[in-house]
Amino acid sequence: MSASAPLIARRPRTKWFWSVLPGYFGFTIISFWIVAALTARFWIPYSPFDTVGSRLTPPSFDHLFGTDALGRDVFSRTMAGALYSIPIAFVVVTIGAFIGCVLGAFAGFVGGWRSAVVMRLVDITLSFPPMLLAMAVAASFGPGLTTAAAAMIIVWWPLYARLMQAQVLSVIRMEHVEAAIASGVRPGRLLLRHILPLCWTPILVNATMDFGQVVLLAASLSFIGLGAAPPAPEWGAMVSDGAVNYYFWWIAAAPGVAILSVVLALNFIGDRVRDILDPRKHQS
Amino acid sequence: MTIPKNVSGLVASARVAILAAGVAAGLGATASAQGDEQPLIIARNLAVNSLDPARTSCDTCNIYMAAVYDTVVRLGQDNKTVEPGLAERWEVNGDSTVFTFHLNAKAVFADGSPVEAKDVKWSWERLTNLQGGMSWLFEQVKSIETPDSHTVVVTLSQPDSEFLGKVIAPYSGVVNSKVASQHGAKTSKEEAATDTAEPWFLANSAGSGPYVLAAYAPDSELRLKRNDHYWNKQADIGEVVIRQVKDSVAQAQSLMSGAVDIATEVSPDTAKTISAPDVTVQTVPSYQFLYLALSPGAKGNPPLSVPVRQAIGYAIDYKKLIDFTIGGAGQLVPVAIPNGFPGADGLPAPEYNVKKAKELLASAGLKDGFTMEAVFPNENYYGVDMSTLMQFVQQELAKVSIQLQLKPVTFPVWLQTVKGEGTPLTASFYGPDYFGTDQYVRTFAMMPGTRWYTRSGAERVQGMANPKEKELLDKALASPVDQRDKLYHEIAQLMIKDRVIIPLVGPNTVLAYNNKVEGMRYSVVALLPLQELRFKK
Repeated sequence: MSASAPLIARRPRTKWFWSVLPGYFGFTIISFWIVAALTARFWIPYSPFDTVGSRLTPPSFDHLFGTDALGRDVFSRTMAGALYSIPIAFVVVTIGAFIGCVLGAFAGFVGGWRSAVVMRLVDITLSFPPMLLAMAVAASFGPGLTTAAAAMIIVWWPLYARLMQAQVLSVIRMEHVEAAIASGVRPGRLLLRHILPLCWTPILVNATMDFGQVVLLAASLSFIGLGAAPPAPEWGAMVSDGAVNYYFWWIAAAPGVAILSVVLALNFIGDRVRDILDPRKHQS
Repeated sequence: MTIPKNVSGLVASARVAILAAGVAAGLGATASAQGDEQPLIIARNLAVNSLDPARTSCDTCNIYMAAVYDTVVRLGQDNKTVEPGLAERWEVNGDSTVFTFHLNAKAVFADGSPVEAKDVKWSWERLTNLQGGMSWLFEQVKSIETPDSHTVVVTLSQPDSEFLGKVIAPYSGVVNSKVASQHGAKTSKEEAATDTAEPWFLANSAGSGPYVLAAYAPDSELRLKRNDHYWNKQADIGEVVIRQVKDSVAQAQSLMSGAVDIATEVSPDTAKTISAPDVTVQTVPSYQFLYLALSPGAKGNPPLSVPVRQAIGYAIDYKKLIDFTIGGAGQLVPVAIPNGFPGADGLPAPEYNVKKAKELLASAGLKDGFTMEAVFPNENYYGVDMSTLMQFVQQELAKVSIQLQLKPVTFPVWLQTVKGEGTPLTASFYGPDYFGTDQYVRTFAMMPGTRWYTRSGAERVQGMANPKEKELLDKALASPVDQRDKLYHEIAQLMIKDRVIIPLVGPNTVLAYNNKVEGMRYSVVALLPLQELRFKK
């Protein structure tokens, strides 16, 4: 019994360590890529757009990740690529969540036929597979990062609308809201001060998890030629270049690992945010 | 929010998909090989627009048409000599306006019925009147007479010393008029709109060639069977399957794994990685080329005056382009006429001169350069990745301060763009349909009615038309061969000065095939003459 006592004492700390480690790991990776996005242009060894060496050369001291079919440095392009993938995820999630939350809150708060109109629009949009819808929108607008972002926003907002509407409907029945109504609080103030502050948690958790998915979808659109226009060093487009030159593995490897690391890191962060904001975790 | 597994795994599974295509092809090959005779499997991006002889127009269609529909005359193995086909002999009058073909009495269609003059007349009139992609082949024809069942007399509205070349084109193949008519095919201009034969031609053929159509599944496979009633030398291989394998890498993998016998579109870079001992890879010069097209009349009125177009021509390092896009496996092309075609010999090689380009831009008042859009088809032609090609051009033009905004699009969108409002700069490809230069003049010269006169918006820009080219073309078509070639040479020089079309590279063709296959060669007309292929005994 005495021998097992230290084990029992250590277990919570070990458990805690393993539960927070992925979050810290994710945070470290994302911090690296954010710094890379902001500063890469100052320290990458070569221009990501220009031919700087022989074509299709494997990794070497001169070119850490080799060169592509146009003799561009894959390392420089991968680092510079963060400036495309990270901001697009931020823009899409922020705008998608904003539009979705506004419409969802409106639908949940006003109810009636206006709610029905918004929610049927949500249903219609969600009835399309996300990738298919994004492809269709991006293809009809024409290729480019801006249109790809617009396509992804169209794909993303309905889920936030549905989530926010459900949150508003559950909060609106709470006693403090009924008390506020009884005391004559105006509708706008009721929504902003008494309802919405209790609705943000799931939205925040969802948004954190979605960052990674947006990076992946943006890369997928670029891979099939509907995202970044050449010669932008967007990771999905670089993986696509690698598929054309299949036997020169290094062209796709570096951006592929970059996508993997960002998506993984953002998922870890999302999990950690969910744990932090989950009241049941704290109770236990 | 979650994304379905098929989406989230898209990037990661791209290579797996390519491998899977190869494996699938392998399984199919095994299944097909269960008959008594082993089929020949060819890997190719089919991209077939139609199998109706009057409507079809694509590279795979060239292979198909040449194998299934015999032509009245055919091209020899040297890619130049005219040899007898359905016609055992022919006569041409002095000014190349009347062509008389005498059909071989032995010639029969796949159903055993004789090939007669009425079939030739019917087929050529239908090709013209349906206004499909290749109807221009017979646009100079004034009348087609059939004085007897085995004689065809074609009268042209103006001399055309290259008319035999047009008859050689696989799209001029002769169709069994009786069979096709029974399935909704019409031949007159008035009835063209009511022609309903296209679906029938997707499942059947009505030719007199060494093969017949066995089955066609769009984006899957085109299956041909030997024509057992063939009137000439029978094909050696009983069944040929052209299987859809889209990209160069997947084709090479299928070939190395033994799933296919021939890969038709392996890029030179990928070809270098093929190491299987039972595979032969040959690189041979072709008559195909890729080019830049400048459109001064495109939307937005880009500043593409003659000096600016010349500057763009000088700003590109063509030799480096060949190295960077196809690993050096190609030829310089001075003008939009393939090397070796009439009139193209002895032209100066394209010059790379940045200093001269800058001077020309300065003389046009554009010393600081300018920005313009470049919509291009994001495809792979003859092993050249168009995105890589255009990014190279973008880098080269940036050296003279011309900034290109690249817009890769699908081929249909590109076609719609260039046929509509246009794009200031684009790139495309051209492969000949017969050995003759007039097809290039009619496509690329600045004469009203040519494809690139229209697409470049030349009618909206003062001074773009070059009447001298039309005058010389008419003279060339009415001249004997030696004079004709000199006149084509003059036209070629004028086309270089036009600088609307800037040829970039003539990529070599990669012939990649299993060692058990014999008879592989590149043909101008058929691309890959199937009837000459055989398995090693």
